[in-house]
Amino acid sequence: MLRLSLTTFREHRRLFAGAIVAVALGVALLQSSLLVMAAIADAKIPPGLSGQARERLRDSYAGAATLLGMTVLLAAFLALFIVSSTFAFTVAQRRRQLALLRLAGGSRPQLLGLLLSEALLLGTAGTATGVLAGVPATWAQSWSLVALGFLPGGFSPHLDGGIMLGSACTGLVVALLGVLAAARRAAAVRPLEALRDTGRAARVMTVSRWFFGTSSLAVTVWMVWVGQASEVLGAIVIALGVSVIGAVALSLLSPLAVPLASRLLGPVLRSSTLGELAQANLRDAVRRSASTAAPLIVLVALVLGLTGTLDSLAAMVGEEQRRIVAGDLVADSTGAVAARIAQVPGVAVASVQSTVPISVTGRHRRAGRTYRRTLYSGIVAVDPSSYRRTHRPAPRAGSLDRLHGRTIAVAPGQSEEGWRLGGTVTARVGGQRMRLRIVALLPPTLENGADNFLVPRELIPAAVAARAPAQTVIQVAPGTDPAAVAGRLRAAGVGTVRTPARWADDRAAAEERANMAIFAVLMGLGGLYAAVAVVNAVVIAGAERTAEFAVARVTGLSRSQVVRMALIEASAVTAIGLALGGLVAAGALAGIGAAGVRAVGVPLIAVPWTPLLLLVPGAFLITGATSVWSTLSATRRQPVTLVTARE
Amino acid sequence: MMVEQTRPGEMIRLAVELRGVTREYGPGQARVRALDGVHLGFPAGSWTAVMGPSGSGKSTLLHCAAGLEKVSGGRVLLLGRDITSAPDGVLTVLRRRTVGFIFQSFNLIGSLSAEQNVALPLRLAGSRVSRKDVRDVLAAVGLGDRLAHRPRELSGGQQQRVAIARAMVTRPEVLFADEPTGALDSTSARTVLGLMRGLVDAGGQTIVMVTHDPAAAASADAVVFLSDGRVVDRLVRPSVGAVADRLARLEG
Repeated sequence: MLRLSLTTFREHRRLFAGAIVAVALGVALLQSSLLVMAAIADAKIPPGLSGQARERLRDSYAGAATLLGMTVLLAAFLALFIVSSTFAFTVAQRRRQLALLRLAGGSRPQLLGLLLSEALLLGTAGTATGVLAGVPATWAQSWSLVALGFLPGGFSPHLDGGIMLGSACTGLVVALLGVLAAARRAAAVRPLEALRDTGRAARVMTVSRWFFGTSSLAVTVWMVWVGQASEVLGAIVIALGVSVIGAVALSLLSPLAVPLASRLLGPVLRSSTLGELAQANLRDAVRRSASTAAPLIVLVALVLGLTGTLDSLAAMVGEEQRRIVAGDLVADSTGAVAARIAQVPGVAVASVQSTVPISVTGRHRRAGRTYRRTLYSGIVAVDPSSYRRTHRPAPRAGSLDRLHGRTIAVAPGQSEEGWRLGGTVTARVGGQRMRLRIVALLPPTLENGADNFLVPRELIPAAVAARAPAQTVIQVAPGTDPAAVAGRLRAAGVGTVRTPARWADDRAAAEERANMAIFAVLMGLGGLYAAVAVVNAVVIAGAERTAEFAVARVTGLSRSQVVRMALIEASAVTAIGLALGGLVAAGALAGIGAAGVRAVGVPLIAVPWTPLLLLVPGAFLITGATSVWSTLSATRRQPVTLVTARE
Repeated sequence: MMVEQTRPGEMIRLAVELRGVTREYGPGQARVRALDGVHLGFPAGSWTAVMGPSGSGKSTLLHCAAGLEKVSGGRVLLLGRDITSAPDGVLTVLRRRTVGFIFQSFNLIGSLSAEQNVALPLRLAGSRVSRKDVRDVLAAVGLGDRLAHRPRELSGGQQQRVAIARAMVTRPEVLFADEPTGALDSTSARTVLGLMRGLVDAGGQTIVMVTHDPAAAASADAVVFLSDGRVVDRLVRPSVGAVADRLARLEG
């Protein structure tokens, strides 16, 4: 059986190329991510770092580990998806051959064995490539994590035999798991199908496809509906859910959705004979068009849905900050410089907020349990009265008026963490420990990494405050032009001075950049897989259409007309895939828009133009080029030799 | 018109026997009866051709007799054994050892060479395959110099000869043939029919052959005519003229 599968494997190597690449990619990514994760777990926090620096390092390690974890899951999922769809496709295309084997006396277990051996061969080829590619991938990955700021410079992972073996085994398991469903379907091929030319009448929409497709579509529609009436955070979770489940739903239902959508393209396509032919092919070869469109649907829905959601959130953060801050100018400087701002003519109020290097330890309650926790970051020293005048929202409990002496206020970053008014925390300022009473709880904001605590300025030694980075919100005296004051501030050399609107936009942009850093890695990966899947589908389809193309040429089409016909088909499928993916993303963002109206009064939807502008031409380019190449290679031989020869 | 049926107690050993076989397709109102109570026996060691107009149920009869299709009613016996409701495992073993197939579309595996195709059923059955046997058989059908060729590198007649070589090496007791010469020119067809004659005369194998071609039917020992799913006529030791005449009457 292994020898037979070797020959069939060689015969169909083009069909399997995509799956091999997918497995290789998966193994390489799994191995490199695990190696980097192991190195992170082993990494020692260097002695002699300040508490703040330690916390930052720990946070960045945790962030990198989370990102790597998501990478591993995504890689395994996509590898499984591509291997299983490749095998489903090849089984469908090889029905006649499989039926012939049954006719020659092959039993069902033997057919199962044949496909499993093919999967084993494919898995071995992919795994071997992947393990080798995994070594440079490890260096590339840790380099890019350092470049993106997730890991400190000088971080270097080392190779580990156990992890490499584990990744290799996973690659084989993924290949075998991926083939199981297809192998079961192959074993059900009846020998009689070898004798009927309609052998390809196999159903594309199987029962399980119907079931999972319609139920995920129902869940998606329900979520879009619920999303219309939820809070910002709820809407974000829902938007992410809609992107993922909606993508799965439409890709499962693509054998129905693609022909439906191709009807809409009908008027465009029917304007030429070739277009008409292409449209007929689209409708007829449902499996082929669906398997090209499905990865595009998933990619577009995920990329646009996820980045759109996060960018909208960033825009909302900016809008919210703009509303919170009641000032005419915002200046960034050190504490020492900030102290001079109040003396600049035209400045009425200057609220200096210095991020100070102290630690806060306390017990807080969450989900019915109390935790002891020490925080080093986001602790800001303020002057309560000017802070109150420059920041609109009132505390949801307590009052900032009482923020004097040994007291502390819980800022938005810790608002939901279960701190109680009247409780105490221990602060470590310089070498000194002091107990602080919680006197105010500020409401939460949308911002990720917002300030954690506010402490009164008098608690902080002047020398410490002078060195700390400070942000100053400035109100100018009535009747004064803020621009003139800004000029005077710049002349006095008090650091960067911006209008609050500009400052809020910059803040949103910074948030967006942080999102992009994470998503660049994941989406780059997703895009790569989608490209493999699309190329795979187009190549498989082209390779199996040799006879069809030959008939078309005998009927009177020139070779270039056949190529153009296939290109029109591929472009139409690409357009349909992109549109359906966009539909899912639009559904995801609809809830965000509604939540934005409730949270900040305007529907802030950030259309992710950069990914969109990369995706659309990229998708057309890839499908187009692959289609032309595979059609050219399928029409290389004289059509007459193909039309008469049958096997 | 006389309808030929096998009578109980007949002394000829039957390789394949259909007893009141009915085969229906489609649901409810759209139901079509492709075979309508067919009683028919195919004597062992002889070659029977089945003829009839398009849609008369020839192919269905062949598929049911070979166990490729389940019957709606009646019984099918293969070498005295009732295969009417045999499970897939039993039918698989039968396909390896007892029955063979030759079809218009050659049914060769495209990725395997001629030699591998011939050896395939034996290898699937787990038997050791003697390369010499395989080569001898291919040489006997005149393909001694085409061992390593893939089906697509062979002409239609050559592909059909590979299929016959496969039937010779496994020596199935019953060979089912569906339009074996349908895609061949007359010279190739004559070669193939000659080889099939040899299987029956020298090997004692049984052939059940569906055909449209009176010349092919005339190579058989007997011809059975089907119309609307029933056996309507029969000729023993047929001549091309007699077959063509009966067929013209049926189709007219």
